[in-house]
Amino acid sequence: MTVTDAPREQRVGGSLSAGVFAVSAVVATVVAGTLTAQEAVPGIPMPGAIVTVGLPVVRVLLDVSAVAVVGLSLLAKLLGFDAPDRTEPVMRRVRPLTVTAAWAWAVCALLTIVLQTAELNPGSVPTLGMIASYVDTVGTGQGLLFSAACALAAAGIGLMAVRFGEKVPAELRIIVALFGLLPIPVTGHAVNSVWHDPIMIMMEVHVMGAAAWTGGLVATVVFVASRRELLAVVLPRFSRLATVCLLMVAMSGLVSGLGTMALTPGVELPGAILTSQYGLLVLTKVTLTVLLVPLAAHIRFRLMPGIRRGEATTVAGWATAELAVMGLAYGVAVAITRAAVG
Amino acid sequence: MRRLVTVLLLACAALGIAPPAQAHNVLISSDPKDGAALSAPPQQITLVFDQPVRQGYAQIGVTGADGSAWADGAATVAAERVTVKVKPLTADGAYVVGYRILSADGHPVTGKIDFTLAGGGAPAPAPQETGAGTDAGAAAAEAAANGGAGMAVVWIVAALLVLAAGTAVALRRAGPRTSPDDQGGSDDAPVRPGEGARA
Repeated sequence: MTVTDAPREQRVGGSLSAGVFAVSAVVATVVAGTLTAQEAVPGIPMPGAIVTVGLPVVRVLLDVSAVAVVGLSLLAKLLGFDAPDRTEPVMRRVRPLTVTAAWAWAVCALLTIVLQTAELNPGSVPTLGMIASYVDTVGTGQGLLFSAACALAAAGIGLMAVRFGEKVPAELRIIVALFGLLPIPVTGHAVNSVWHDPIMIMMEVHVMGAAAWTGGLVATVVFVASRRELLAVVLPRFSRLATVCLLMVAMSGLVSGLGTMALTPGVELPGAILTSQYGLLVLTKVTLTVLLVPLAAHIRFRLMPGIRRGEATTVAGWATAELAVMGLAYGVAVAITRAAVG
Repeated sequence: MRRLVTVLLLACAALGIAPPAQAHNVLISSDPKDGAALSAPPQQITLVFDQPVRQGYAQIGVTGADGSAWADGAATVAAERVTVKVKPLTADGAYVVGYRILSADGHPVTGKIDFTLAGGGAPAPAPQETGAGTDAGAAAAEAAANGGAGMAVVWIVAALLVLAAGTAVALRRAGPRTSPDDQGGSDDAPVRPGEGARA
């Protein structure tokens, strides 16, 4: 609005980073989903193209908007509350955007319910009755409905934050956003054994860690990268969070991915990593995570000393590269929830 | 920050217990077996999965080499077993059994097995199956395992608990600050002094 606003081109660069993340997520979803699609079987009607392409895309848009809500909510915490005259211009733009992203999340969740109903009733347009019976009988539908409710709660709290500013505690906004992510893994894989609960918790940790890491990075790049004096404060804080998230995401991903495969009948573990679609998708995600390490390490160890001193750096470019890899990982994640383990 | 972590861990712990066991089902056996060479036409096809299949969305198709459909009626689900009756097969040759079931985690699983019929004499008269009687019991058992509306209630209660905890934190935080000088803030969202002391 005033002098504190970043130069226009830098702001465009920030939106570009967010766009790179969203586009690579959608592209990876479509590619991975096409490669691992369940082939048509004789004698069984299969859902149409709107469902087979639309469902994964809507599903990944749900993830992207949820990541945005988590990240924008985290940004309040990362910016801190000690220098409102510097952070408030940023937050005044962030808060309405959080509400918009939360609405997009809710709409995507509800649309996913409709498309999943259509997927189970091939050849017919889902009616309200079919959707109601889907939500009533299938846990996935209930989970998505709950996620949508959390997103609407996040939108409501976000509106209060727009009106009342930081009097609405940042933790509340973060918790409601993260809580809306929790039912999502219920729609993925878990196994039917005593290891069910540990693997379920690992998946929850995975989803929350990934959302905090990716969302925090998106929000930092878009809103803070062009303001050096804020970046000197925000990036070290985010970096600590990112390190924890990296460890959480890598460990929980390996445990739940390999654990699911180990406990599925008919899957021989060392070989199945290379022969089964699920194993290859796990391998892809491990590769992408490994790829993130040098990018993150470069920002943390090479660029951060300069950023702390308030120098101009190439952090936006490196962070955008990191976001592109994260987007690919999110796209593969959608494919992995839909692929058959065996 | 520590408070945030505690709440999240508690929420995780609650959720880890709440949802029922869920996963993609895997076909572990079938009758006739995949690739079997039969000398007499089968009366029915039975597919056995590693975990219970959800009621209501299972489909099985039996297709001959010329594309003709031979499944007789809809597939019935009894826990891990999905069964469909087969019309009397008259022609020798290859048949494909395609299936699409709703797996325990709510994702559809498709697949197929095939068998060949050789020297197919006159089919034996179909034995009277007693499968239908188990359907109501199976549906009730699945509803119990799934929780049905019960699961939604667990979610909602958990959500309310977390929201209540969050509100408590909010009130404790806002308490000292809203006291004397903060009353009736002006309309253009004045810049609030931040948090003060943080744990």
